Amino acid sequence: MTVAVSLIVLLAVLGSSIAVAAGMGITGLILNQLYSPLPLTRVMGELAWATTNNFILTAIPFYIMFGEILLRSGIAERMYSALIQWLSWLPGGLMHSNIGACALFGSVSGSSVATAATIGVVAMGEIDKHKYNERLFLGTLAAGGTLGILIPPSINMIIYGVMTDTSVPKLYLAGFIPGLILTVLFSLTVLIACLWRPHWGGQKVPTNWEARIRLLPDLLPPLVLLMVVVGAIFFGIATATESAAVGIVGALAITAWRRRLTLAMLIEVCEATVRTTAMVVAILVGAFFLNIVIQTIGLTQQLSRLITAYQLTPVQVLTAVIVLYLVLGTFMEELSMMISTIPITTPLILQAGYDPVWYGILIVLLIQTAMVTPPFGINLFVIQGIRGRGRLSDVEWGAAPFVIALLLMIGLICVFPEIAMWLPRLVG
Amino acid sequence: MAHLHRIVHGVSRVGAIVGGAMLMLAAIVICVDVTMRYAFARTLGGADELSGYALAIASAWGFSSALLSRSHIRIDTVYVRVGSRARATLDLLSLACFVLFIALVAWHGWGVLQQSWVSGSRSMNELETPLVIPQALWVAGLVFFVAVALLLLVRALPLYLAGDLRRLFDLIGSKSAVAEAEEEIRAIEHAIEGERKP
Repeated sequence: MTVAVSLIVLLAVLGSSIAVAAGMGITGLILNQLYSPLPLTRVMGELAWATTNNFILTAIPFYIMFGEILLRSGIAERMYSALIQWLSWLPGGLMHSNIGACALFGSVSGSSVATAATIGVVAMGEIDKHKYNERLFLGTLAAGGTLGILIPPSINMIIYGVMTDTSVPKLYLAGFIPGLILTVLFSLTVLIACLWRPHWGGQKVPTNWEARIRLLPDLLPPLVLLMVVVGAIFFGIATATESAAVGIVGALAITAWRRRLTLAMLIEVCEATVRTTAMVVAILVGAFFLNIVIQTIGLTQQLSRLITAYQLTPVQVLTAVIVLYLVLGTFMEELSMMISTIPITTPLILQAGYDPVWYGILIVLLIQTAMVTPPFGINLFVIQGIRGRGRLSDVEWGAAPFVIALLLMIGLICVFPEIAMWLPRLVG
Repeated sequence: MAHLHRIVHGVSRVGAIVGGAMLMLAAIVICVDVTMRYAFARTLGGADELSGYALAIASAWGFSSALLSRSHIRIDTVYVRVGSRARATLDLLSLACFVLFIALVAWHGWGVLQQSWVSGSRSMNELETPLVIPQALWVAGLVFFVAVALLLLVRALPLYLAGDLRRLFDLIGSKSAVAEAEEEIRAIEHAIEGERKP
């Protein structure tokens, strides 16, 4: 009964377009009034202070800031030109460069929207220049961009880690191999499509070894940053937050080297970072409060009792959760979907015997899928916005083959959890 | 009233920029700390503590900046499917709920601050920061948010009653995801433009 009422209240509040942060807080207040013997509002102050003044969470503004600086450092365009030389000989041409550039930029950026938008802006002009199949080309950008949150660093993994008390470095390690496999799967999707319909692949771009070698230095800045930021975590030299801080200094250095470090640029970076951070932190404060109310009124225990009562097997629980996310993901904004559901789904999955690190990777893959499935898929909007012509449905159709690749990847890590778990276990 | 609105905009912008600068500074200090620890096996100490305060203060002051730029996420599945009068009602409801929630957080945050003042609490790290300093800045940011949100409510209510919905949406309407995406893109295009020029 409590379960049903709680869900209805949450859906009604969030559905009536109340800002998600406030909505979760208000839902917490209502449930507290209805079911809790104690007035939990008293813990609000302590909770809000402890939540926002949390060293692990500092990684969130740091990665946001890191991305904002990189965006303005001018590395994306040069990186893309270099990748054209290296990858465009494959059937599908530049579409492989799109995916490669997204993977590489994603490996220094913690956000999917930023990845899709940055590579999208750089690549968009090439569709007409080389007569590509527009839909598929747009699809590579929308889907490739989602790699930003799977390949570490990842803002979504930090949020998951903090909310579920899971080690963020372990999550990063776990995301690495699935990220590589998914990149290859995306490229294979393009390859298969272009072997089936060769004219989709556009005109060949002339490439040669001389240019490949000459442009190699343009690939270096992102690679070096990647090694520093992710390497430091892998080898246990720095925590996720510390490595993000090192990344900021590195990105500032690159920007200065490119002579693009100005006061105006720094002010832009600071303002944009704080705005995005505040938006995320507001939601987290609401979610943490709701989480405490949910725990106090025993909602999770009731849910698990329900599962026991219906004698659901672990696989059935997992399937139900995956279907839930696929459905929610079609119409809900991805970040709020993740934060509002994690407190409910994670205990269920853990009780069913799955590993929290593995589940974190699964959630990220499900969110990636949500980002490219209509009607609400943020990456579809981003790519359509950059394109600035035609219909949104072109991007939706173009992304469809990559949704299949994503579903395949979800199936793969469910059947072979080792894909995600091998690296974290190896490092310890 | 419009004058007050401009002042509030300015203060909130400065708050966000200063907050961002604090975070950047924290990042630099941490970077120095990590390098020293790695190279000389010594640390400055307290860098992590300071960055925690930077996050708390920057995000409290950023709440209002995000509110004024309508960046707080709202789920608009229903919102986009109802008439404009109903949309305006939902906008007011959303803002009122936000005021209520953050006002409660600020009220209890004030309690936390008072407690630290009375008991003279200091942080449990090597810095032994008197907690009232970061907490006061944090509560001030929350209180400022409540003031900004109330001001927006006071400005939006007459617009609602007068039926001037277009201006109301400009003030407190939910920005669609498409508009949100377009802003992101403009920022990136602006950033990349700079690269092409020289």
